[in-house]
Order: sequence, then C-alpha cells, then structure tokens
Amino acid sequence: MNQKSNSLWTRALKNVLQKDKESISLLAQSAALLKVDFLVVDATNRVLWGTVSKEHTYSVEIICDSLSLGIFKSTTKAGKYIFDLIKIFLSKEFEKKSIGKEVLSLYREINMIYDLSEMISEKIDTISIAEIALRESSQIIGSTHGLFLMYDPDEDKVTELASFGDNPNSQKNIKDQNEVLKALILRGSAAIVPENRIKDNLPIQHLKAVMYAPLKVKHRTLGMVILGHEEKKEFTAAELKLLTTITLQSASAIESAHLYQKGLKEANDREEAIREIHEVSQKFVPSEFLKSLGKDNITEVRLGDLVEREVTVVFADIREFTAVSEKMSPKENFLFVNAFNNKMGPIIRKNNGFILQYLGDGFMALFPKGSQNAITASVEMQKELHDYNTERKAKSRLPIKVGVGMQNGKLIMGITGDIKRLDAAIISDTVNTAARVEGLSKHYGTSILLTKECKDDLTHPDEFDFRYLGPVQLKGKQNSIDLYECINGDTELLFNHKLNTLSTFNEAMNLFFNKEFAMAAVTFQQIFKMNTDDQTSKLFLNKSAHLITQEIEENWKGVELMNTK
Amino acid sequence: MNKKVLIVDDEPHIRMLIEQTLEDLEDEGVELLMAENGEQALQIIEKERPNLVFLDVMMPKMNGMEVCQKVKKELHLTEVYIILLTAKGQEVDRQKGLDMGADKYMTKPFDPDEMLAIAEEIINS
Repeated sequence: MNQKSNSLWTRALKNVLQKDKESISLLAQSAALLKVDFLVVDATNRVLWGTVSKEHTYSVEIICDSLSLGIFKSTTKAGKYIFDLIKIFLSKEFEKKSIGKEVLSLYREINMIYDLSEMISEKIDTISIAEIALRESSQIIGSTHGLFLMYDPDEDKVTELASFGDNPNSQKNIKDQNEVLKALILRGSAAIVPENRIKDNLPIQHLKAVMYAPLKVKHRTLGMVILGHEEKKEFTAAELKLLTTITLQSASAIESAHLYQKGLKEANDREEAIREIHEVSQKFVPSEFLKSLGKDNITEVRLGDLVEREVTVVFADIREFTAVSEKMSPKENFLFVNAFNNKMGPIIRKNNGFILQYLGDGFMALFPKGSQNAITASVEMQKELHDYNTERKAKSRLPIKVGVGMQNGKLIMGITGDIKRLDAAIISDTVNTAARVEGLSKHYGTSILLTKECKDDLTHPDEFDFRYLGPVQLKGKQNSIDLYECINGDTELLFNHKLNTLSTFNEAMNLFFNKEFAMAAVTFQQIFKMNTDDQTSKLFLNKSAHLITQEIEENWKGVELMNTK
Repeated sequence: MNKKVLIVDDEPHIRMLIEQTLEDLEDEGVELLMAENGEQALQIIEKERPNLVFLDVMMPKMNGMEVCQKVKKELHLTEVYIILLTAKGQEVDRQKGLDMGADKYMTKPFDPDEMLAIAEEIINS
C-alpha cells in the first residue's frame, strides 16, 4: 500500500512541477511576484524544478501521508507561499492520479469481462465455460485453487464441472458435503469465508482463504464458483464483486448452453419422429415407388410428381372371398386377410416387386424389373397357398383359391389427389388390363393368367409351362389380346395332368381355332375326363360343343368376347 | 530529442485512461500529447511529429480514417506509427483502416497491459 501511494505521490509531484502547464505557469508567476527563486528535488535528489544554488537558504521537507517526497528550497522565507501552493497542487494531482488509477483498474476489469463473455459465448459446452471462467478469475483474482460446482435438482446432487489447483479428495469431499454445498448454492449469495469457518463448510479445507459466488440465472441458482488460496490472505470486497460478475456471466452462458443442447435434443427428437413417420409411411407407400419418382423420402413428394416406367402389373384376388368370409366375423375376416397378406408380401418383395395397393380381398403388385419376377412370384404365391390350404384342411377349414392375372406395359406412377390429401397413383391402361386379366382367370379357371406381352417379356420362359388360351376382347377395347395360362402354380396333381396333356391340349386348341369344333370337343372331353379340376378344358369343351350347332362367320377367329368388366 | 506519443479521442475519459495506461513511458522521457478531434490531431502530428499515435476511428470533425489517410498518403509521414482504435464489434473497419495506411489496429475496451507493451515496443524500436 505504502509502496503504491509512494510512487503515486512521486509522480504527482513530478507532474505538478514538470507536466501540468497550469501549475507550472502559476508557480513561475508566483515566484516572480514574490521575487523568490526556488528549487525542488525529489527523494532521490533528482532536480524537479530550478537549479542547485548556495543562495537557497530556506529549506522544507515535502511530506505527504508521512512520506518524504523531497526537499523544497528557496532564496527567502517567502518561498513558504510557493511551497504551500505546491502542496495544494500536489494533493489535487494525487487525488486525480488515484482516481485515474482506480478507473484504469476498473477498465481493466471491464476489458477482462468483455473478453470473458466473448470467449464463453462462443462455447456451447458447459465444461469449457467452467474452465474459462476459472482460468480468467484465477488470473485476475490471485488464487491457487478453484472449484466450479453445479447443482442438479433432479438428482439432488452437487457435482464438479471444473477445477484448478490441487484439491485432494475433492470429489469425495463434494459428495460428503453435498448438503452443505447445496444449501450454500441455494442460498444464492456471494461471500468471503472467515478463515476459522473454512474447515466446517467447504470441500477445500486445507486452504487459508476462501470466497465463493453463486451461478445465478434470474431467480434460479445453477451452482457456485469457489476460489481459494493456500496461503494466508484476505480476499477483498472488490475481488468478491469481480468473482460475482464472472459467475453471472458464466451462469448465463451455461444457461444458454443448456438451452442450446435442449434445442439440439428437441431437433434430434423431431428428426427421429420424422424418420419414424417416414418408416411407417414407407409401409403405406413403398420406397420403391418413391425411388422410381426419384425421391428418397415421403416428405419430398409433391402433387403432380410422376414417372413413366415399363413394369409388370400383377393382380391377385382371393376367389369366392364372400363364400369364405361369410363364415367369419368381421374381425376374423380382417385377421384372415392380414394373414394372407403377411404370407404374400414377402414373396412379392423377394422377387423385386412391391405391393402398391391392398384391395380388401387381394392386392395389386408392381414388378419394375419385369415379368420373369412377376411370374416367379406368382408361382411361389400359389405354392405357398397350397401349403396354407394343407394347414387349413387339417383344421377343417375351406381351402383358399387365389386368381392371379398380369400384364406388362408402360405405366405412369405419380402422386395424385389435392394439396391436403396425396396418394400414390398409377395411371395406366396396363393396370386396367392386368385387373381384367385377373378377372378372366376365374372365367378360364386358371390360377395364373398372363398376356402375350407378359410371356414375351420373360427372360427365361423355359422355366415355366404354358397353355395358350386364345385371344380375348375385353369390353370397351378395340384390340384383342392373347392369353396364356401358366400351369406351374397349380397343385402338383393338376400340374402333372396339364403337363402330360399339354400336346393334346394344344392340338385341341388348334382344332378349335380351325373351327373343327366336334373334334375339339372330343379332345377337350378326353383331357377333362382325366382330371375334372381342369376347368379350362371344361370351358373349351363347352364352347366347342356349343359352337358345333352354331353358324360360324367367315372371319371367326375364336376371339372370346367379354361383355362384363 | 524526446520521443512523443499522441493520444487522439473525442471522449475525455478514454484519453485519460490511455494517458494513465502509458504513464510509465513518461519516466523514460516520453512526452504524451493529447488531441480531442481529427483536425487537432492532424495539426499536432504535422508540428510535433510524434513517434506513435493512438487514433480513435469514430470522431467528430474528420474521423480517424481520414486523419490516417492524410498523414500517410498525403503528408507521407510514414515514420509516424499509427494505431487505430475502434469499438469491439466494428472490426469490419479493420481492413479499411489498414488500407488507409494504419500500422496497427486495436479494439476498445483495450487491455491496458497489452497497450503499454505495444507502445513500449514501438517507442524503443
């Protein structure tokens, strides 16, 4: 303290005599008026004013605050007035210097706090904030130890976020002193701890000087910062105030970090929720459908998005569903359809297809990679069904029959609806035809019915066996289409029958198209007799028999006219 | 010849703070000069040729940028070391200031210890 004021007084004296123009000029004028020559030397005998002369007979020591600042000498006693004047200037200058020094030290603090808030505002993790706060406070406030403590009300626990200095057993001490520390934190005030009370209260008992300040945000206290010194020293009120300022800054930074992390978590949760919705929606709208539209995500889909593709469309339908379902309650019905779909879905996907729509007692599936996939899946579905029927039979339940029809061709997949309700949609004649073909499979008594386009699209047609069923003209269509039956999906017995009679069947068809109906009828009769489950042969038998008695037009081509949809 | 440091700021308390900060230089015989606006600063620079100028940017009557430009680009007093002072958050002016010929750039609030160290280094070089 003395050291400081000594240098301040010395500088003040120097300023009065050498720097401050006002005092210099007044002193010079006064000396002239009093006809006095004077000399001032500082405590080190350095001349501050005048020149050394033997004529300076009057001499006074300049003493301020019991400090000897130098000697004033003058030629006459009237120099006393000059001396008094110097002392007045001196005390004013000292006051000014003291204030200046005080302001500068405040300014230094402001700068530090400015830097601190700049540093911690860039941080989003609480530990960095705590570390910076401790580092900065230890730099400005002489301390050897520091603890940055947080209180978690959910767990009712005080934990250390950061620390410096050697704190043996601090973790254990914090745990042991949990209640004391919690009470201190919740009190929310700052204090310098008297030396004799350090031992009782704080986790840094080996220290000689301790003070602490709360981490306060609005009306809540998040924790506290404790600073300590291992040597005997007195923390000042100014230092406590500084620590409080630092803790205030830190607390708001920690609060923002918490809010930021909370916001981040919420954003993650939202993202997760969206992802889940996406996953669920994928089950409604197959991702293959979205991908074919060039979208990764359902949220990217816009009304009017569309793409044109060549695909194979498969319709599958439970035959005589009403007959089956009549015997079931609505719930049983629903469970039955679900069980059916659960069996069929995986087969479709396994063969690169996807179910675009469930149609109550059936579904519509798309095979973007073509008919080979479609027909493989169809055969597998029928076989799966045979197994299922064996199970059902064991439970004395009616067997299920499924008709499958397919067509290959271009279609437009797109998003239709209006701005509030979007739906995946297929706009295509191919779909219509496939649906009609499936309908025809009942008429022809086939398990898998396909068009010539589909058959031509097969990459390995030899893997399957077909029966040609002739042309058919669908209602409202100009051109007829050629139909084939794939027999590989039939029960083993029926399949073997159809395979064994394949050449006979083809022969019969030739007879039929050559208008030799009697012969055709006989041949179909032969085939049908061998296996009465061969409904197709029965159909052509009946047709042939019917046509025998009919007058046949010249250009008759055997086109089956379908008048119903 | 005495070394000279000129402090230019329109706010008296900032002038006082810088003066207080640089007080130790006076012991080494450095003369501290003050100016409270750009015009006054320019006159003092021309007359006294200080070794170092702490020049505030935002000032009435000719701002720090203009003073800097006049000193460096028109009067060609390149030996006068100019440190521009500006409020934190206005660092965008930094490049502009350096383009005007300023030798260094400091922000306010300044770190007194850093300011004194820089001033000592420049004065003694």
